[in-house]
Amino acid sequence: MKIELCSYSGLKIYPGHGKRVVLKDGKVFNFLNSKCCASHFMKRNPREIRWTVLYRRKYKKGNLETVAKKRNRKTVKHERGIAGATLQDILAKRNQTPEVRAAQREQAIRAQKEKLKVQAKKGATDKGAAGKKKAPAGKAAKGGKTSKPVAKNVQKAAPRVGGKR
Amino acid sequence: MNFIKCLSTYATGTRSFSTTSCLHEIRKLARMRVVDNSALGKAARLSGKPARVIHVYNKTSVGTVGDKVLVAIKGQKKRAYIVGVKQNQKPNMPKFDTNNIVLIEDNGSPTGTRITVPVPSALRKKGEFSKILSLATRFV
Repeated sequence: MKIELCSYSGLKIYPGHGKRVVLKDGKVFNFLNSKCCASHFMKRNPREIRWTVLYRRKYKKGNLETVAKKRNRKTVKHERGIAGATLQDILAKRNQTPEVRAAQREQAIRAQKEKLKVQAKKGATDKGAAGKKKAPAGKAAKGGKTSKPVAKNVQKAAPRVGGKR
Repeated sequence: MNFIKCLSTYATGTRSFSTTSCLHEIRKLARMRVVDNSALGKAARLSGKPARVIHVYNKTSVGTVGDKVLVAIKGQKKRAYIVGVKQNQKPNMPKFDTNNIVLIEDNGSPTGTRITVPVPSALRKKGEFSKILSLATRFV
C-alpha cells in the first residue's frame, strides 16, 4: 500500500488513516486527520500554520536543506573559433606584439591615403551628380598636403587591425 | 460544516436543542449530478432540473457508492449507479463534493461513453462495475 502525503500538513498518511476528499472540479485532497481537513476548509493557509511542512519549508526550519544548497557550480569558459575566424587566427591576432600592430596601422593609413588621393583626382575631373562625394574628398586632398594631422583624420576611416576589444 | 446555531435561552427566552449535522444521505428525491457524457445527462444539467432519485435499490432506502437507483431525468425514468457521495465515508473510500451518478440502460450497459470525473477505485471490488470502470479516465 502506498503511504500518501497529507495535502495540508505534508505529513505521511499510513493506510487506514485519514480522509480523502474529491472536489467538484476533480481535485483530490488527502488529509491526515480531521484537524488538517477542518483547517483546509476553513481556508487557513498551511504556509502560515507553524506545524505544517509547508511552513517549515517557507521559513527554512531544519538543517538538511541548508547543507544541500551550499554547493556552488563553477562555469568553465571554453575558447572557441567563430565562423569568420578559427581559434588559431584569434590567438594569433591577440598575441601580436605592439610593434607589429603599429606597423600594420601605418600600412593601413598609407593605403587609405593613396585611396583618397585617387578619389580626389577623380572628383576634380568628374562633373555633376557626385557633388556630395567630392566635398569630403576635396577636404581630404587639401589636408593631404600637411602630413601628420592628416594621418590622424584618416585613421578613423582606416580598417581596424587588432584594435581594442 | 453545517451547524444549526443554538440560540441562548438568555438572549431570546426560547430553549435551544441540539441536532445532528446534515448527513447528506441519498434518499428519494435527492438531486444527483450525472457524471458521464450522455446527452440526457447534459440536457438535465443545462435545463437546471437535475436528476432526482425516485427509488433506491437497497434494503435500507439510503444509497451509497455502488448502489443502483432509479432516477427521474427530463420526464423519463432511468436507472443509474451512484459513483460518488457527499456523505462522510469510512476509511479507504473517498468523499466527494457532489453526489455523482452514471446512467445505465436496462440491460446494464452505461448510456454515456466517458467519465471525466474521478471514480473511486474501491468499486472494482464492490460489484460488477467493469463496464462503468472502463469508461472512467481517473481513479481515486
